[in-house]
Amino acid sequence: MAAAILEVDHLTVRREAATVVDDVSFSLQPESDTALVGPNGAGKSSLVQALLGILPRCSGSIRLLGEPLGPRGQLPAAVRDRLAYLPQTLTLRGRIPLSVAEFVALGYERPGLSLPWRGHSGRSGAVRSALARTDSSDLAERLISDLSTGQLKRVLLAFCVVRPRSLLLLDEAQAGLDSQASEQFHSLLYGLRRREGWTILQVSHDLEMVRRSCDMVLCLNRSLRCSGSPDHALSPSQLEHLYGPGFVPYHHHHASQPTPR
Amino acid sequence: MSAASNLVELLQMPFLQRALLAGLFTGALGGLLGSVAVLRQLSFFSDALGHSALLGITVAILLNLNPTLVLVPFAVLFALGIDRLASRSRLPTDALLNIVYSSSLALAVLALSRVPSYRGGIDQLLFGDILGVSWLDLSLILLLLLAAGSYLVLSRRTQILLTLDEPLAISRGVAAGSHRLLFIVLLAVVVAISIKAVGVLLISAFVVIPACASRLVSRRFSAYGLLAAGLGAGCAVVGLLLSALFNLPSGPAVVLVQLLGFLIALALAPLLR
Repeated sequence: MAAAILEVDHLTVRREAATVVDDVSFSLQPESDTALVGPNGAGKSSLVQALLGILPRCSGSIRLLGEPLGPRGQLPAAVRDRLAYLPQTLTLRGRIPLSVAEFVALGYERPGLSLPWRGHSGRSGAVRSALARTDSSDLAERLISDLSTGQLKRVLLAFCVVRPRSLLLLDEAQAGLDSQASEQFHSLLYGLRRREGWTILQVSHDLEMVRRSCDMVLCLNRSLRCSGSPDHALSPSQLEHLYGPGFVPYHHHHASQPTPR
Repeated sequence: MSAASNLVELLQMPFLQRALLAGLFTGALGGLLGSVAVLRQLSFFSDALGHSALLGITVAILLNLNPTLVLVPFAVLFALGIDRLASRSRLPTDALLNIVYSSSLALAVLALSRVPSYRGGIDQLLFGDILGVSWLDLSLILLLLLAAGSYLVLSRRTQILLTLDEPLAISRGVAAGSHRLLFIVLLAVVVAISIKAVGVLLISAFVVIPACASRLVSRRFSAYGLLAAGLGAGCAVVGLLLSALFNLPSGPAVVLVQLLGFLIALALAPLLR
């Protein structure tokens, strides 16, 4: 078995006084697609944020691409380059004078100190290609604050795809999208994942989508309640164990189901 | 005709030359830092710091020190204190700023009322005295402009990411906490150094108005920062020339020119969409 892309060992995260992630251990194999499911307030976003050093952890260890994450989120720049994080949304207040192309370029280069005129040609080629691969070429000169929710999600994907990545962490990527836009976003993500060889960890509430496309499911309610293949982890008895009695697993019944890949 | 010859005559006065250079540098500095500050919701921070600075000036007067020497550490402490207070108390920052600046102002006015020589001079503190800028003040402002300019240009990706979304910035490897604090301290120092020229009441206009005007019309971030700095510098020079020509108070004259620039940007904005 190949070396794990992500290894989490006895991870505990506190927010204020409350323990939001309690003694969680798991690992992700290369090119796997893992869903993180659980009720609201189960600590899914906190877990993802702790994996990137956005939230400090209280105990436990995290290894990304074989490198340990320091206690204050330190990670070699070469490893950071191969990670991408897709937040639920960007909270943009008012007009932001930043073009989509400029934003995507921020995903291409390291954020450290540099002179403005360095590396222009490689950057603009990578940005153009990333926008093309996410069906966003027409958005290049738009302002980031003028985009619709669906457009912003595609641009965030372009931010991920602008340089080769190994691991993508998505925090409820489908939040705020209607079912059609959500379906489009998901098929775009699915295609990119195949072509780019991404390993994915995604927080999701869409159990139908998880059943259809993920290889593994982690059920979280502060601690890891169960994990395994979708058939096992999303069985009615496991769901009741995770969400509590009275939970009815919801099914989407669209008039026309998209053809399974 | 007499206005033009009047202007040529005025331009030969060293005090006006110093004032114009000070305006140019202070305006550029305010616009440049303002371009980041207004996107990070720090407009009120610079306003509150400006008002609180009256306490720093009062301390300098009571101790008979150079006001700039007291103001810089005062502003840095203010910035660090507010940051600490905001994360400790979990109260909204604007409310905390209000508490700190009203109490500083109250203390300062009470203390000043005990100093007989300053009862009449409060106007100068409130609205600044750009015509009294010394070569020392000028070189300090220029140094600060160079330092702040190179920091913001070199770290521009970090600044943009932090402005957009802090978690996203951290995921890219930005040391968010230290850069956020460094920017606030830099903004505080700029406000402190500029106060002598602009006055405690109007200093925030230098940070907020040119940046907002530029924000309305810019479509790229690089152009946005440069335009804000250019507008800040240009408005300051025009305002000072007007004030010299028509014998108007300098700070308010500059702010009115900035307002004019903002209104023009507001009118242009729909055309540039």
